[in-house]
Formats: sequence, C-alpha cells, structure tokens
Amino acid sequence: MSFHISTQPIEPAPLLAQVPQTCGGIVTFEGRVRNHHEGKEVTALEYSAHPVLAEKEGLAVLVEAQQKFPQITHVQAIHRTGPLALGDIAVFVIAASSHRAESFEACRWLIDEIKHRVPIWKLEHYPDDNSEWTGCEGCKHIH
Amino acid sequence: MTTPPKALLLIGGKSSRMGQDKASLTFEGKTLLERTIEILQPHIPEIFLSVAHDDTRSFSLPTIPDLSPNPGPLGAIQAAFTHDSSSPWLVLACDLPLFDDATLSYLLEHSSSAHSASCFLNRLDGRAEPLCTLYQPQAADSLNDYLSAQRRCARKFLESLNPQTFTLPSPLALDNANRPEHLTELSLLSSHGLVEKEVTITYYGKLSSEVPNPEEKLTTTAATLAGLYEEVRLQHHLSLDLDIVKPVVSDEFVNWTDPLPDKAPVAFLPPFAGG
Repeated sequence: MSFHISTQPIEPAPLLAQVPQTCGGIVTFEGRVRNHHEGKEVTALEYSAHPVLAEKEGLAVLVEAQQKFPQITHVQAIHRTGPLALGDIAVFVIAASSHRAESFEACRWLIDEIKHRVPIWKLEHYPDDNSEWTGCEGCKHIH
Repeated sequence: MTTPPKALLLIGGKSSRMGQDKASLTFEGKTLLERTIEILQPHIPEIFLSVAHDDTRSFSLPTIPDLSPNPGPLGAIQAAFTHDSSSPWLVLACDLPLFDDATLSYLLEHSSSAHSASCFLNRLDGRAEPLCTLYQPQAADSLNDYLSAQRRCARKFLESLNPQTFTLPSPLALDNANRPEHLTELSLLSSHGLVEKEVTITYYGKLSSEVPNPEEKLTTTAATLAGLYEEVRLQHHLSLDLDIVKPVVSDEFVNWTDPLPDKAPVAFLPPFAGG
C-alpha cells in the first residue's frame, strides 16, 4: 500500500507490475489533463500539494479503503505535482482483489476521497496567458 | 452635548456568515441583544431596534423598520433620522460581545456636537468605526445625498463626515463576531488579554496568489486559529471565508477554535482540487 506525490511523469506499467498474482480483478483510474474546463480552453496545468499532509492524508485514505473493502488486497495511488501538459496523467489509482466487484467499488471510492481529502491544488492556464485556481467543487460540499 | 441622544441598535442585518441571527447569539450566558441593551439603558433612555422593513417580530423595545428592503446599515440610520431628525443618534451594532460601559461612557462624555459624527478608531486598521458612532442631526442631509448617489459603504460615509475620532478605552470593545468561531476567540481574549505571539503562516493554492508572499512571519495577538485567519483575511483581502478553509498547525489538521500556540508554524489550506 502506498500513496505518493511525484513531480515525475506517472508510468502505469511498473505500478501494475507490483500487483500480486492473487489478484484477478484489477481496476485502475487514470486522471488526465484535459483541454477544457467549464467551457474554457485549457493549455496546461500546475498542481501543488502540502509537502507533508498530502502523503499523510493520502495514506490515511488508502488505509480506510482497506477497512471499508476488506476483500481488497492491493491499493496504490500516485498524484503528480508541478507543471503538466495536456494528456499527462495527473493521478493514478489501483484497487485490486480476487474478483472485480469490490475492485470497481473501491477504486471509485478512492478517487472520490482523494479529491476531497488530500491537500492538492490545481492552477489552470488558458490561451490568453491568464490562469486560475480551479476545482473548488469542494466549496459546495466541504466535509 | 445639548440634546440627549437616542440609540439605534442594529439587529436587522443579514447574518449569512454567522448562520443565525447575531442578536440572539449567546455569549457568557446572555444574548448579545440583552447584553447591549443592559449597557445602553442606564445612559440612554430611548432605545430603538433597527429591523428589516418587513420584520413582524415583537420586541420589548420599540422598532424602526428600514424604509426599503436590504438598504444596509446606512439605510437603518436614514430610517432613524426620518423617525426623529432633531435628535443625535447613537448607532450601535449588536455583534460586539465585549462592548462595555467604559466605551459607551467615553463616547458620550467626549463627543462634541460641533462634529457631524463622533466615533472610535478600529484597533487593527486605525480607521473610523461607523457602527458605534454618535451621529448628529447635521449628518442626516449628508446621508441622504450619499444614499441618493447609490453609495452604501458605512465606513466611507463616516469618513466623508470628517468625524471626531477617539482611541478605544477598552481595546476589544468593538471586536465583532462575524462567525460562531469568533465568540471563542473573544472569550479567550477577554479572559487572557492581548498576548503577543510570533507565527509563520504558509498559504496554499488560491490563497497563495492573494498574498504578497506565500510564507509570512507575523506578530499577532489572536487567541485562536479563527482569530488569526480573520486578521489576515482582512489584511490581505482574502476571498475565502473560514468555513471553506482548513487550518493546519505543525503539519496537523486542527480546529478553528483551538488556541493558537506561540511560535506556531501555521498553514491555511483552501478547498482541495486534486485529481
């Protein structure tokens, strides 16, 4: 089980290679930088994170996932920070167990919790050289 | 002072930040309204409550409704001068948990009717405070002109009167409680006094773009995290209120009402936006 913040590009293949062979149902979520947000064209993104709390809270989310979905045998997540280009992977989540049902459920739960609870922020850049801190969906339903 | 003043107590304001009617908020066993009335009564026999134009509640004191919907505090003062244009009006907010007799007595004793208004200076920013102010009848015409020009800011209006200003005899008397968390702040300040602390603050995400430097050192007298955030929110004109910001001390999430430790490394985190 591990949660990492990384400034390096995320490579799914080596992460998937770590999934134990007891797992027959592996669900992954890949969050990529898209070229639009709320109708605006986006040219690039920058993520930043709290240097200590992001990994601490991220790990707490993974621990909770294992308690909530006891059949899950492998969970892992990694979130990128720094400047990202369109199409880059921003976040990668793996939930794996013997069978698929709980893996789907756990992976969905994990990405939602990571978005809500892990102190990471997103600065979007636009074609006119403006930029804006976005993704304040949390403003509407803060925990 | 020649004509005795009447008092206008502002209770009709919208209180979205407090989440409840500020006047009925309890502080040390009494509602803020009861506390304020008890302080006023020995000095000013005629006290009126300023209420919204459509407020139908019944009160123990006479009311002066606004003349229109949501005209702001200046609209309340206009309604008072419409009610009695020859009396000076002491206009007082009802969200001042530490307002006291010493403050009121000082204002009444030192006010000169030669000035259109007499007031105190805010202890933090040194600007004139419009909602604990004695307005003389000659302020009424200026107020009508100001409101006709579609202007609403009570503080700027007061400054335009070139008021007589005083330093607060009790420094905390006009600290207002905009949110429930501020009541804890004010309780601690009133019991422990103003104690200076050195803190470093790191701002993240959107907040980091609203301050001159994402990491700052400052000396504060705030007692809680909420008090500190209110101080920097006003100083830097931060766009986020504390209900959507999370406080962190020494890399741990904490509560807004937790006491602020000296030499604390504090961080303020805006809503998260990962993924």
